[in-house]
Amino acid sequence: MLSEHVLGEFYQRHGRSVWTYVFRVTNNAADADDIVQEAFLRLFQADTPPSDDEGLRRYVFRIAGNLLADRWRKQKRDERHAPESARHDSGETRDLDVVRVFSSLKSRERALLWLAYVEGENHEDIADSLRVGRASVKVLLSRARARLRDVLRARGIVEK
Amino acid sequence: MTNGELTTADEQLLTTFMQRLRAAPFDAVPRMPDARVLWLKAQLIQRWDNQRQVQRPLDVMEPFEVAAGLAAAVLLLIWSMPSAFAWIPRLTF
Repeated sequence: MLSEHVLGEFYQRHGRSVWTYVFRVTNNAADADDIVQEAFLRLFQADTPPSDDEGLRRYVFRIAGNLLADRWRKQKRDERHAPESARHDSGETRDLDVVRVFSSLKSRERALLWLAYVEGENHEDIADSLRVGRASVKVLLSRARARLRDVLRARGIVEK
Repeated sequence: MTNGELTTADEQLLTTFMQRLRAAPFDAVPRMPDARVLWLKAQLIQRWDNQRQVQRPLDVMEPFEVAAGLAAAVLLLIWSMPSAFAWIPRLTF
Protein backbone atom coordinates (compact mmCIF):
# COMPACT_ATOMS: atom_id res chain seq x y z
CA MET A 1 0.00 0.00 0.00
CA LEU A 2 1.31 3.46 -0.92
CA SER A 3 1.74 6.16 1.68
CA GLU A 4 -0.86 8.77 2.46
CA HIS A 5 1.49 11.44 1.19
CA VAL A 6 2.03 9.83 -2.22
CA LEU A 7 -1.65 9.12 -2.75
CA GLY A 8 -2.63 12.56 -1.49
CA GLU A 9 -0.35 14.26 -3.97
CA PHE A 10 -1.58 12.00 -6.74
CA TYR A 11 -5.16 12.92 -5.86
CA GLN A 12 -4.32 16.63 -5.99
CA ARG A 13 -2.67 16.24 -9.39
CA HIS A 14 -5.15 13.95 -11.13
CA GLY A 15 -8.45 14.24 -9.26
CA ARG A 16 -9.66 17.04 -11.47
CA SER A 17 -8.91 15.21 -14.75
CA VAL A 18 -10.74 12.09 -13.54
CA TRP A 19 -13.67 14.28 -12.54
CA THR A 20 -13.73 15.98 -15.95
CA TYR A 21 -13.77 12.60 -17.68
CA VAL A 22 -16.65 11.31 -15.56
CA PHE A 23 -18.56 14.57 -15.82
CA ARG A 24 -18.29 14.64 -19.62
CA VAL A 25 -19.53 11.06 -19.76
CA THR A 26 -22.38 11.37 -17.25
CA ASN A 27 -23.37 15.00 -17.88
CA ASN A 28 -24.10 15.18 -14.20
CA ALA A 29 -21.91 16.89 -11.64
CA ALA A 30 -23.36 15.03 -8.63
CA ASP A 31 -22.79 11.67 -10.32
CA ALA A 32 -19.26 12.74 -11.18
CA ASP A 33 -18.62 13.74 -7.55
CA ASP A 34 -19.84 10.34 -6.32
CA ILE A 35 -17.99 8.25 -8.87
CA VAL A 36 -14.70 10.09 -8.48
CA GLN A 37 -14.82 9.87 -4.71
CA GLU A 38 -15.59 6.14 -4.89
CA ALA A 39 -12.79 5.60 -7.42
CA PHE A 40 -10.21 7.28 -5.21
CA LEU A 41 -11.51 5.50 -2.10
CA ARG A 42 -10.94 2.19 -3.88
CA LEU A 43 -7.50 3.31 -4.99
CA PHE A 44 -6.61 4.30 -1.43
CA GLN A 45 -7.70 0.85 -0.21
CA ALA A 46 -5.91 -1.11 -2.93
CA ASP A 47 -3.41 -3.62 -1.57
CA THR A 48 -0.99 -3.48 -4.47
CA PRO A 49 -1.58 -0.36 -6.55
CA PRO A 50 0.92 0.56 -9.28
CA SER A 51 3.87 2.40 -7.84
CA ASP A 52 4.47 4.86 -10.69
CA ASP A 53 2.40 7.93 -11.44
CA GLU A 54 1.32 6.85 -14.93
CA GLY A 55 0.30 3.41 -13.69
CA LEU A 56 -1.71 4.96 -10.88
CA ARG A 57 -3.42 7.32 -13.30
CA ARG A 58 -4.47 4.48 -15.56
CA TYR A 59 -5.53 2.47 -12.55
CA VAL A 60 -7.86 5.17 -11.22
CA PHE A 61 -9.29 5.82 -14.69
CA ARG A 62 -9.99 2.10 -14.93
CA ILE A 63 -11.80 2.11 -11.59
CA ALA A 64 -13.85 5.12 -12.66
CA GLY A 65 -14.66 3.41 -15.97
CA ASN A 66 -15.74 0.25 -14.15
CA LEU A 67 -18.01 2.31 -11.93
CA LEU A 68 -19.50 3.97 -15.00
CA ALA A 69 -20.05 0.58 -16.64
CA ASP A 70 -21.77 -0.69 -13.47
CA ARG A 71 -23.99 2.35 -13.53
CA TRP A 72 -24.98 1.79 -17.18
CA ARG A 73 -25.83 -1.81 -16.42
CA LYS A 74 -27.97 -0.75 -13.48
CA GLN A 75 -29.69 1.93 -15.55
CA LYS A 76 -30.47 -0.62 -18.26
CA ARG A 77 -32.20 -2.81 -15.70
CA ASP A 78 -34.17 0.07 -14.34
CA GLU A 79 -37.13 0.56 -16.65
CA ARG A 80 -38.19 3.67 -14.85
CA HIS A 81 -35.02 5.39 -15.91
CA ALA A 82 -35.59 8.33 -18.20
CA PRO A 83 -34.20 8.20 -21.74
CA GLU A 84 -30.63 9.30 -21.81
CA SER A 85 -31.24 12.15 -24.23
CA ALA A 86 -33.52 13.73 -21.67
CA ARG A 87 -30.92 13.71 -18.93
CA HIS A 88 -28.89 16.83 -18.52
CA ASP A 89 -27.35 18.45 -15.55
CA SER A 90 -28.61 21.89 -14.80
CA GLY A 91 -25.08 23.11 -14.24
CA GLU A 92 -23.83 22.16 -17.65
CA THR A 93 -22.64 24.87 -19.97
CA ARG A 94 -25.13 24.51 -22.79
CA ASP A 95 -24.00 27.39 -24.95
CA LEU A 96 -20.92 25.54 -26.08
CA ASP A 97 -21.41 23.62 -29.29
CA VAL A 98 -18.77 21.08 -28.46
CA VAL A 99 -20.45 20.19 -25.19
CA ARG A 100 -23.88 19.91 -26.78
CA VAL A 101 -22.59 17.79 -29.61
CA PHE A 102 -20.75 15.49 -27.25
CA SER A 103 -23.78 15.23 -24.98
CA SER A 104 -25.88 13.98 -27.87
CA LEU A 105 -23.82 10.79 -28.02
CA LYS A 106 -24.54 7.77 -25.84
CA SER A 107 -22.66 7.71 -22.56
CA ARG A 108 -20.63 4.66 -23.55
CA GLU A 109 -19.64 6.37 -26.80
CA ARG A 110 -18.59 9.43 -24.85
CA ALA A 111 -16.46 7.31 -22.54
CA LEU A 112 -14.83 5.48 -25.44
CA LEU A 113 -14.00 8.70 -27.27
CA TRP A 114 -12.73 10.46 -24.16
CA LEU A 115 -10.42 7.62 -23.18
CA ALA A 116 -9.11 7.25 -26.72
CA TYR A 117 -8.65 10.90 -27.66
CA VAL A 118 -8.17 12.80 -24.42
CA GLU A 119 -6.48 10.20 -22.24
CA GLY A 120 -4.74 8.49 -25.14
CA GLU A 121 -5.48 5.00 -23.83
CA ASN A 122 -4.99 1.94 -26.01
CA HIS A 123 -7.73 -0.55 -26.84
CA GLU A 124 -6.66 -2.95 -24.13
CA ASP A 125 -6.89 -0.34 -21.39
CA ILE A 126 -10.23 0.91 -22.69
CA ALA A 127 -11.61 -2.63 -22.68
CA ASP A 128 -10.51 -3.17 -19.07
CA SER A 129 -11.84 0.19 -18.06
CA LEU A 130 -15.30 -0.10 -19.57
CA ARG A 131 -15.72 -3.85 -19.07
CA VAL A 132 -16.17 -4.69 -22.71
CA GLY A 133 -14.42 -7.41 -24.66
CA ARG A 134 -11.03 -6.46 -26.04
CA ALA A 135 -12.12 -7.50 -29.51
CA SER A 136 -15.23 -5.33 -29.24
CA VAL A 137 -13.43 -2.11 -28.39
CA LYS A 138 -12.17 -1.54 -31.91
CA VAL A 139 -15.66 -1.95 -33.35
CA LEU A 140 -17.35 0.13 -30.65
CA LEU A 141 -14.78 2.89 -30.94
CA SER A 142 -15.08 2.91 -34.70
CA ARG A 143 -18.86 3.25 -34.41
CA ALA A 144 -18.50 6.01 -31.82
CA ARG A 145 -16.12 7.90 -34.11
CA ALA A 146 -18.50 7.53 -37.05
CA ARG A 147 -21.42 8.66 -34.89
CA LEU A 148 -19.57 11.75 -33.75
CA ARG A 149 -18.57 12.57 -37.30
CA ASP A 150 -22.19 12.17 -38.41
CA VAL A 151 -23.44 14.40 -35.61
CA LEU A 152 -20.86 17.03 -36.52
CA ARG A 153 -21.90 16.86 -40.16
CA ALA A 154 -25.59 16.99 -39.30
CA ARG A 155 -25.02 20.15 -37.29
CA GLY A 156 -23.00 21.68 -40.06
CA ILE A 157 -19.92 21.88 -37.93
CA VAL A 158 -17.93 20.17 -40.65
CA GLU A 159 -18.02 20.36 -44.40
CA LYS A 160 -19.02 17.15 -46.13
CA MET B 1 -23.89 6.50 -42.61
CA THR B 2 -22.80 5.65 -39.09
CA ASN B 3 -20.65 2.72 -40.12
CA GLY B 4 -18.83 4.53 -42.89
CA GLU B 5 -15.06 4.54 -42.92
CA LEU B 6 -13.39 7.60 -41.53
CA THR B 7 -11.17 9.59 -43.83
CA THR B 8 -8.00 11.31 -42.70
CA ALA B 9 -9.92 14.59 -42.74
CA ASP B 10 -12.60 13.05 -40.51
CA GLU B 11 -9.95 11.81 -38.12
CA GLN B 12 -8.37 15.25 -38.00
CA LEU B 13 -11.75 16.79 -37.36
CA LEU B 14 -12.49 14.44 -34.47
CA THR B 15 -9.08 15.07 -32.93
CA THR B 16 -9.63 18.82 -33.10
CA PHE B 17 -13.13 18.46 -31.72
CA MET B 18 -11.96 16.39 -28.78
CA GLN B 19 -9.20 18.87 -28.04
CA ARG B 20 -11.77 21.67 -27.98
CA LEU B 21 -14.01 19.61 -25.75
CA ARG B 22 -11.15 18.95 -23.37
CA ALA B 23 -10.51 22.67 -23.07
CA ALA B 24 -14.18 23.61 -22.86
CA PRO B 25 -15.12 25.19 -19.53
CA PHE B 26 -18.06 24.03 -17.44
CA ASP B 27 -20.20 25.79 -14.88
CA ALA B 28 -20.40 22.82 -12.58
CA VAL B 29 -17.92 22.88 -9.74
CA PRO B 30 -16.36 19.60 -8.67
CA ARG B 31 -17.12 18.90 -5.03
CA MET B 32 -14.16 16.78 -4.17
CA PRO B 33 -13.22 16.22 -0.56
CA ASP B 34 -9.80 17.02 0.80
CA ALA B 35 -7.19 14.30 0.27
CA ARG B 36 -6.76 13.88 4.03
CA VAL B 37 -10.50 13.34 4.53
CA LEU B 38 -10.60 10.83 1.70
CA TRP B 39 -7.62 8.99 3.13
CA LEU B 40 -9.19 8.74 6.59
CA LYS B 41 -12.46 7.56 5.06
CA ALA B 42 -10.61 4.88 3.11
CA GLN B 43 -8.80 3.74 6.28
CA LEU B 44 -12.10 3.58 8.17
CA ILE B 45 -13.80 1.53 5.45
CA GLN B 46 -10.77 -0.76 5.32
CA ARG B 47 -10.93 -1.27 9.08
CA TRP B 48 -14.66 -2.08 8.95
CA ASP B 49 -14.04 -4.54 6.12
CA ASN B 50 -11.30 -6.23 8.13
CA GLN B 51 -13.52 -6.43 11.20
CA ARG B 52 -16.35 -7.91 9.15
CA GLN B 53 -13.96 -10.48 7.71
CA VAL B 54 -12.75 -11.52 11.16
CA GLN B 55 -16.30 -11.61 12.50
CA ARG B 56 -17.73 -13.62 9.59
CA PRO B 57 -16.80 -17.16 10.84
CA LEU B 58 -18.30 -16.35 14.23
CA ASP B 59 -21.51 -15.12 12.60
CA VAL B 60 -21.71 -18.24 10.43
CA MET B 61 -21.17 -20.58 13.38
CA GLU B 62 -23.61 -18.87 15.74
CA PRO B 63 -26.77 -20.81 14.66
CA PHE B 64 -24.84 -24.10 14.90
CA GLU B 65 -23.66 -23.20 18.41
CA VAL B 66 -27.22 -22.48 19.54
CA ALA B 67 -28.51 -25.70 17.95
CA ALA B 68 -25.71 -27.76 19.53
CA GLY B 69 -26.39 -26.17 22.94
CA LEU B 70 -30.09 -26.94 22.73
CA ALA B 71 -29.44 -30.53 21.60
CA ALA B 72 -27.02 -31.03 24.49
CA ALA B 73 -29.56 -29.66 26.95
CA VAL B 74 -32.28 -32.00 25.66
CA LEU B 75 -29.93 -35.02 25.82
CA LEU B 76 -28.89 -34.14 29.36
CA LEU B 77 -32.52 -33.84 30.38
CA ILE B 78 -33.40 -37.23 28.88
CA TRP B 79 -30.31 -38.86 30.40
CA SER B 80 -30.92 -37.48 33.87
CA MET B 81 -34.68 -38.00 33.91
CA PRO B 82 -34.71 -41.60 35.40
CA SER B 83 -32.44 -40.70 38.30
CA ALA B 84 -34.07 -37.33 38.80
CA PHE B 85 -37.50 -38.84 39.27
CA ALA B 86 -36.46 -42.17 40.87
CA TRP B 87 -37.58 -41.07 44.32
CA ILE B 88 -41.24 -40.64 43.23
CA PRO B 89 -42.21 -44.38 43.37
CA ARG B 90 -40.63 -44.66 46.84
CA LEU B 91 -43.09 -42.18 48.26
CA THR B 92 -45.60 -43.68 50.68
CA PHE B 93 -48.70 -41.93 51.79
